[in-house]
Amino acid sequence: MRNLLHDMNPAMKFITVTIAMLGLAFFFNPWTPLLVFISILLMQFVFSSINWKLWTLYMFPFVLGAFGYLWTTIVFSAETGGTVIWSLFGHDVTDRQLALALSLSFRVLAFSSLSLLFALTTDPVKFVMSLMQQLKLSPKLAYGVLVGYQFLPVLRDEFFQIQQAHRLRGTAVEKYWWQRLLNIRRIIIPMLAGAVRKAERSAFAMEARGFTGEARKEFYQPVSIKPKDFALSAAILLLVILSSITGTVLSS
Amino acid sequence: MPMPDTIFKMNNVSFRFPDDQSPTLSSISFAIERGERVAISGPSGSGKSTLLYLLNRLYPANCDGIVNGEIHIFGKAADSYAPGEINHRVATVFQDPDSQFCMPTVEEELAFTLENLNTPASEMEERIRHVLDITGLSHLRHVSIQTLSGGMKQRVATACALVMNPEVLLLDEPISHLDPYTAKEFILWLDQLQKKFHLTIVAVEHRLDYWGTFFDREIKVTSDGRISEDAIFKPHETLRYPLRLNSILDPTVLIATGLSVNVKGNTLLHPLSMTAKKGECIVIAGPNGSGKSTLVKAICGIYKKEAVKFASDPCGYVLQSPEFLFLTSTVLDELAFGGTSSQQELNDLIESLRLTDIKEHNPFAVSHGQKRRVAIGAMLADKRNVLFLDEPTSGQDEAALLELFRLIDSRLDQGDTVFIVTHDMEFAAAVADSVVLLKDGRMTGKFISERVWQDVELLASHNLLAPKGVTRRAESFA
Repeated sequence: MRNLLHDMNPAMKFITVTIAMLGLAFFFNPWTPLLVFISILLMQFVFSSINWKLWTLYMFPFVLGAFGYLWTTIVFSAETGGTVIWSLFGHDVTDRQLALALSLSFRVLAFSSLSLLFALTTDPVKFVMSLMQQLKLSPKLAYGVLVGYQFLPVLRDEFFQIQQAHRLRGTAVEKYWWQRLLNIRRIIIPMLAGAVRKAERSAFAMEARGFTGEARKEFYQPVSIKPKDFALSAAILLLVILSSITGTVLSS
Repeated sequence: MPMPDTIFKMNNVSFRFPDDQSPTLSSISFAIERGERVAISGPSGSGKSTLLYLLNRLYPANCDGIVNGEIHIFGKAADSYAPGEINHRVATVFQDPDSQFCMPTVEEELAFTLENLNTPASEMEERIRHVLDITGLSHLRHVSIQTLSGGMKQRVATACALVMNPEVLLLDEPISHLDPYTAKEFILWLDQLQKKFHLTIVAVEHRLDYWGTFFDREIKVTSDGRISEDAIFKPHETLRYPLRLNSILDPTVLIATGLSVNVKGNTLLHPLSMTAKKGECIVIAGPNGSGKSTLVKAICGIYKKEAVKFASDPCGYVLQSPEFLFLTSTVLDELAFGGTSSQQELNDLIESLRLTDIKEHNPFAVSHGQKRRVAIGAMLADKRNVLFLDEPTSGQDEAALLELFRLIDSRLDQGDTVFIVTHDMEFAAAVADSVVLLKDGRMTGKFISERVWQDVELLASHNLLAPKGVTRRAESFA
């Protein structure tokens, strides 16, 4: 049960989540995204064993963003008419404004929870393999992405090494984030030079092992689509559809 | 049908990169028979690797290079093979252990190779099991490749080559990123595999002294890309370094008492004590992960250290990739960056480090040896006269090693103190006054150089090989 979402075919999960998001974009009432958000959350509670601490951490910036939307829409939105329900520092908030503001911020939450549902339950390597096997992604692109993924930890180590080396040279630790951001180019340039060399070597190594970039016929670990993948996909979409209907009814 | 016995045949081959004026290789002719073990040797930049890439068909297709002359592989013209067609018969292991893999685990990497060859999925399991069995790597099957040591990565790369059941194994400086101890084990392992698989082996290598009697033939390539010699392989002698005179002066430049490093509750370095004098050369050695880099970074102030007492002259740190230190766009600016030295001092440094010709060049665009000299110059210009060099010998050919030796020797004569982290005990024996041995984050001790080389057991317990030149040197002292 708790592995269902993790074991779901990644390409299928990706398509399902994308469809759900696109569908959600057509509903402007506040209830629909709120219901989607809650139902996705419940679904993750039941069908996944994700690290909720990590979820909270990733969700935090989105919650901030959602609150930002809420606030700015209430305070700065154009007069839309409707009944004044609330007066704050001489500023009138109408029911329509509130509805619009809530709709926008709940949307942020709904979209981010859908993205996290995908991100936190999907192994990147399996995702790429599945894209290649189910969606006919070119092996050149697929293995390119995988090589890049293998390089990430190496690049991270290099980044810190260069940073340490530069500190030793006496580059002051900058006070402001924008200065630091500006100085990152000094670290990036040697990293890029190294990355180009590594990329060439990897390409040679792959080619020397018979990689030509042609579509492959045999797979050691085929990523398959099983009936339960369809069931899960249907379940997610059904949740979105039900939320849409309920949301529309509630807000009419 | 009898198998063709000539594997490779080159007849008057020359090769030129499209952007170059002069050819990288010219008038190359040789034939390699089945079962031979051939070494291709020559200085860095002599086109050895290019020659190897012509044999596995990576060139000319990947560089639009211009080939003249005839290349025959298994008796057929090389350009009559389709892309990828030859690669399962001629497999290659490259030099850099970190950029030969595209999948996370050993098993998946082997499967990647088999998928490339369109091996039926039903056979894959058996072939993977078999190659892991025969290479002795079965226990690594589900291990993440990134967590393996360099030596193990090279073995995995070799297993990936062998899983294709090749007839020929090409090796492109396979041990240049390995420490001598690991390299020796790798060569022994390869020797057994060659016998089991009856492979033809062609290796490009510039440190043939590590290979003992592995090869039966050596093709020497000159720096202008011609074959100067093609003869029976004779074991190479260790590189002879000139004798160095002791240059230790009295003032102590570094005192550390009870120095330790703790990061997030982990003790990376247990308390240790040592001193260093002006003009002293100290080699820091020990197995991978024994805390060598941690010690250096702690002394240089990159890691936070704890110490009962610590006093030191300013320390300079030259990384294994010296270009990581560079911040400006000319060599001159690089030295002047700190602003601590006067114009006269800078000029003296540029002269003594032989940087005069390249002082207007971009430091990222000069040769590796020059990059290291620029990095050392930058440190000295900041008056950091206690120098730490991290693995300066790794991947260097003989000429570069001799140059490095002279560079360090001259810095010591100038009264600088030099710490060197290295696995290369021949080099260490040539330069070191004393040796600091580390193991599992503890310092075994600081030994006087001449004594430590006699103690083979002590060295072996730190995964080090006793330098081959020592007996010779002992004789010359007698």
